[in-house]
Amino acid sequence: MYNRKTIADNIFYVGVNDRQKNLFENYLPLPGGVAYNSYLIIDEKITLIDTVDASLADVYLAKIEAVLQGRAIDYLIVNHMEPDHAGSIGLLKQKYPNLQIVGNRKTFDMLNGYFGINTQLHEVKEGDTLSLGKRTLTFYMAPMVHWPEVMVAYENSDKILFSADAFGTFGTVDGDYLDACINTDKYWDEMRRYYACIVGKFGAPTQNALKKIATLDVQIICSTHGPVWKQEREKVVDLYDKWSRYEAEEEGVVIAFGSMYGHTQQLTEAVAEGITAEGIKNVVIYNVSKTDTSFILSDIFRYKGLIIGSPTYMGGIYPLIEQLLFSIEHRGIKNRLYSCFGSFTWAGAATKQLTAFAQTMGWELVGTPVENKQAVFAQKYQEGFELGQAMGQKLKSLR
Amino acid sequence: MKYVCVVCGYVYDPAAGDPDSGIAPGTTFENLPDDWICPICGVGKDQFEPEE
Ligand SMILES: Cc1cc2nc3c(=O)[nH]c(=O)nc-3n(C[C@H](O)[C@H](O)[C@H](O)COP(=O)(O)O)c2cc1C
Ligand SMILES: [Fe+2]
Ligand SMILES: [Fe+2]
Ligand SMILES: [Zn+2]
Repeated sequence: MYNRKTIADNIFYVGVNDRQKNLFENYLPLPGGVAYNSYLIIDEKITLIDTVDASLADVYLAKIEAVLQGRAIDYLIVNHMEPDHAGSIGLLKQKYPNLQIVGNRKTFDMLNGYFGINTQLHEVKEGDTLSLGKRTLTFYMAPMVHWPEVMVAYENSDKILFSADAFGTFGTVDGDYLDACINTDKYWDEMRRYYACIVGKFGAPTQNALKKIATLDVQIICSTHGPVWKQEREKVVDLYDKWSRYEAEEEGVVIAFGSMYGHTQQLTEAVAEGITAEGIKNVVIYNVSKTDTSFILSDIFRYKGLIIGSPTYMGGIYPLIEQLLFSIEHRGIKNRLYSCFGSFTWAGAATKQLTAFAQTMGWELVGTPVENKQAVFAQKYQEGFELGQAMGQKLKSLR
Repeated sequence: MKYVCVVCGYVYDPAAGDPDSGIAPGTTFENLPDDWICPICGVGKDQFEPEE
């Protein structure tokens, strides 16, 4: 009834695809869906690692049953209590009443709070091991990657890291779950967007977790969303290291603009021309009214340069630009080369506020911000072009 | 004065201390040991700011 291919001897993938949900956490678009991964280890102790969103519990329980064929589950390892992974714990406990739940002190506080479960618990602390028979799991705490109770489990013999949300990505698992057996192209942008939106604020805790992981010999990474990483395991760890240090992946500039009647957009074109005139090829322009903030945030993690343009709106910044600024500030993104421009008709405010944003973020302001009154004439177009050139030159100086 | 963890939002209240980490009630934030970490998320003292 379903793919019985194992990750390693007697370790089964029992995750499920969500192709119906439109918004993750009810606000992040899911154009390619999302998978909730769970793993079943058959050993002397039958062990399940994490569960799935309750909306897919029926499919999930059937998958588990297809492997177990009447046997019971001994241990449920709860690496993360967010409902996309903990959602089926209550049902699972009803179906397998003797199972022991393995977690840490913070897990158990949440388990009690969400499900009223406070018995048959097995508490683990940093570095504790749990023997399953032939296999042994070792636990490491990874607080705030993505919630305080998050921990990861390392299987010593096949060197598998069950990493919770870390190294996860939006996008369903189509057919095979193993990276080597599928085209992984569609995941890289979505993995960055997942990181930027969900883990992006927690750079320091992610670095702490990566330091622990670096001491382990990891051959396979089993996260809670998206493919199982074997062939690409080094790449995904490198990406997480970059992102959590807020280091850009490549040379390039994101220009995010808002515009009601096209004037700020005209300045955007001028700025972009100035950047490419300096030989910078990666210029990505986003109209904030057309593209969801999460995609823009993702490219801000990707590129070193960021230029924001906004009309003055009711004495302040355009609302959707304000939302973007909030999400950038909230993630505490560091070390970007930044500039801005704006437009107004009677009393300009947006450009001043966007200029002050450089200080808020502790970023270097590149070039001279351009503020345009009413229609865009040659002089202001030229100033926009020069702003773009200044950004291009600054980027080139880093080559 | 109370201090807030910028990573997870935990509030260190000197009146309560942090008994689980062996910090007695009445200990000011300044007097916490340098290696004290946030009991919720594990980051260091440098990630705390005075509560407004
Ligand atoms: C992404 C995310 C971040 C959260 N951050 C916090 C937080 O910083 N502090 C906190 O106490 N709870 C936090 N929570 C927990 C939620 O506030 C809590 O689960 C709440 O009951 C969710 O309400 P809802 O079911 O209406 O979404 C977070 C939950 C999610 C999903
Ligand atoms: Fe999560
Ligand atoms: Fe998740
Ligand atoms: Zn904290």
